Amino acid sequence: MNLNKLTPYMFLGPAIVILAAALLYPIGYMIYASFLDWNPSQYIGEAEWVGLRNYGNLAEDASFHESMWVTLKFASIVVVLEMVIGVGLALLLDRNIRGMSLLRTIFILPMMIAPIVVGLMWRYMYHPTVGIFNRTLKDWGLEPVPWLSDSWWAFTSVVIADIWQWTPFIFILALAALQSLPRSALEAARIDGASEWQQVLYIKIPLMMPVLIVTCLLRLIDAFKVLEVILVMTNGGPGLATEILALRIARTASEFRELGVAATMSNYLLILLLILTFGMFFYNKAVEARAARVQQRAEEDVK
Amino acid sequence: MRNILEKTLLGAAGLALSAGLAFAGPYDEYKGTTLVVNFPAHPHYDAVRKVLPEFTKETGINVEVDQLQYLKMRERQTLELTKRKGDYDLIAYVVFSKADYVFADQLENLARFFMNPKLADPSYDPDDLVTGYLENIGIAGGKKGYLPGPTGSLFGIPYGSETSVLGYRKDIFEKHNLKVPETYDELLKLACEIPKLEPGMGGVSSRAASGHQASHAFLLHLAPLGGRVLDDNWNPIINNEAGVKAAEALKTIVDCGPEGATSFAFGEALNSFLQGKTAMYLDTTVVAGQINDPNKSKVVGKVAWALHPEGVRRGSQTGGFGIGIPKNAQNKEAAFLLMQWLTSKKGDKLVALAGGNPSRFSTHEDPDVVAKFPHMPVFGEALKYADPDWRPIIPVWGKINADLGTALSKVLTENLDIQEALDGVAKRAKDTLMEAGYYTWQ
Repeated sequence: MNLNKLTPYMFLGPAIVILAAALLYPIGYMIYASFLDWNPSQYIGEAEWVGLRNYGNLAEDASFHESMWVTLKFASIVVVLEMVIGVGLALLLDRNIRGMSLLRTIFILPMMIAPIVVGLMWRYMYHPTVGIFNRTLKDWGLEPVPWLSDSWWAFTSVVIADIWQWTPFIFILALAALQSLPRSALEAARIDGASEWQQVLYIKIPLMMPVLIVTCLLRLIDAFKVLEVILVMTNGGPGLATEILALRIARTASEFRELGVAATMSNYLLILLLILTFGMFFYNKAVEARAARVQQRAEEDVK
Repeated sequence: MRNILEKTLLGAAGLALSAGLAFAGPYDEYKGTTLVVNFPAHPHYDAVRKVLPEFTKETGINVEVDQLQYLKMRERQTLELTKRKGDYDLIAYVVFSKADYVFADQLENLARFFMNPKLADPSYDPDDLVTGYLENIGIAGGKKGYLPGPTGSLFGIPYGSETSVLGYRKDIFEKHNLKVPETYDELLKLACEIPKLEPGMGGVSSRAASGHQASHAFLLHLAPLGGRVLDDNWNPIINNEAGVKAAEALKTIVDCGPEGATSFAFGEALNSFLQGKTAMYLDTTVVAGQINDPNKSKVVGKVAWALHPEGVRRGSQTGGFGIGIPKNAQNKEAAFLLMQWLTSKKGDKLVALAGGNPSRFSTHEDPDVVAKFPHMPVFGEALKYADPDWRPIIPVWGKINADLGTALSKVLTENLDIQEALDGVAKRAKDTLMEAGYYTWQ
């Protein structure tokens, strides 16, 4: 009897052990490290326990605030633009065109390139004198643009590069969502005389919503952690204009040799991402609950 | 009886051993040893790799080289040196690692090797090693902890070290009848005159990208203009008159430099000079080998060298690499022999001829080396002014350096007021130093 009750837990056991070892241990380690004054030449046991000092110092650190602000700005701008462009492209290309599969492969190429290479490629394209953009502008008789050497432009440049690289991700997921939509709903709408726009706004997008929310969340989490492309393109400059949090964490660990502070920053980032994830999750729940209510009411009406 | 027998046997064994040693060369005992060394990917160490077979031929000691990009190298070493038993017998380290490694007690003090008559070569001639480099890279524990002084001792030997020199385009200077700048006033004036004389050409190639790059460029000007980052009591004085002047010099140079100069890291700054887009270059000596390489350079044969211009004093940078023996190395004696061989007069010359940066004064004057690299005497002269205190080598420097570089980048790109920027750096540096305990005695 007792054994029977325990059986499910025994089956869960291995998974829990793996989860604890692979996921909780590193996170716990990071949280522990964030309370230390730890330099990479020391063993973790030699590091000094400083309590919440790292958290306090960071809360007052202007450079950290700036990094945080740059990260928030970067993540929100790129995700919004990528969603709009990605979903837009998917809506446009959701039809039977010849060579569609080839086109789709070409579209997702940027995603497949290693981030370091993407960074280098854009860096050379943005080069002030030999880069393709400024050379083209000069050929057209226009003023060259300080792509990476002016704060505003540098930020814009990394946004452009990120959009170029990650829009395909949203495009491909949005397209998949579109193609799996129930044809009957669209057909019914067409019979009722809905225009193309009405179909998009009232049928396609609402039906795609669950997929879009997950996509958006994945992209958002990724955008908060983007590192290599910016590292190679600007290394955070000019000033701190493009120094997103992931880059600051990397520099704090390797350049400033403050592993404790780097862990603290990672924790702040983790907390931020958790809030976002939960926010999205609850929003999703609320939307679903409302949809369920609407459906229930509709069914009752029919009766 | 047994005692006597034992003594006799021991004595005989001892005699036999010493007789054996009397005939043995210094390297015999280590024949067949394989040393693992960690070197950066750097022109000097590329030259060293060409010379290493010579060492193996002469000594029978094999050398396995693990070559890494220099920032990666530092990360790897940090991990390697904390292990109980290290894989590296000899490491090349960047100068600012000296503070970290010595402080964490991870590098061998070289005294015990130089004191060992079986290891130390009497003809080594340490006086001939470039003083500024040795003080900057090798010595720790003297004045302020990182400078030479009565309490200091030796932890490494400079190898692949660099100082700063001024490179200029002979053809441009002749065409417009310009004088090679000897002072900062002349340099700054000329830097902005050149874009007017040669439209499309910048005055001086300089690094300026946010962070370490901008900071490096600024510090190049700070020492000759009479400034320092910290005074003798660890108070930041970077925001004094000399500091402001150095930042102004940097801004002038970047403003009159090639297009897009504010985003230049070292590679781009050098490249703009190699591509003929600037008339002058003021930075490390390490580039000399590339100037006359037609694959990389469009200015082959058009470049001459001069000393780093003088401000209120002469003071050129000291940087680059040194070699040291990790505390957790497996073959320390053999590693010392390699270190000694590489930095000996003979080894230094071989590496210089293969395109490396010599560490000895005599190599800079050696007729064979000068015949192959005519710029060597100027570089040798520049070395006399190499300033070991042009930047502080303390563990928190990485943080101050990054902050300084960010503030300067804001000066260059966002027109932040220079005094305000440097005041901010000084204040934050003070906080950092305070936290690290530099004011405990005040």
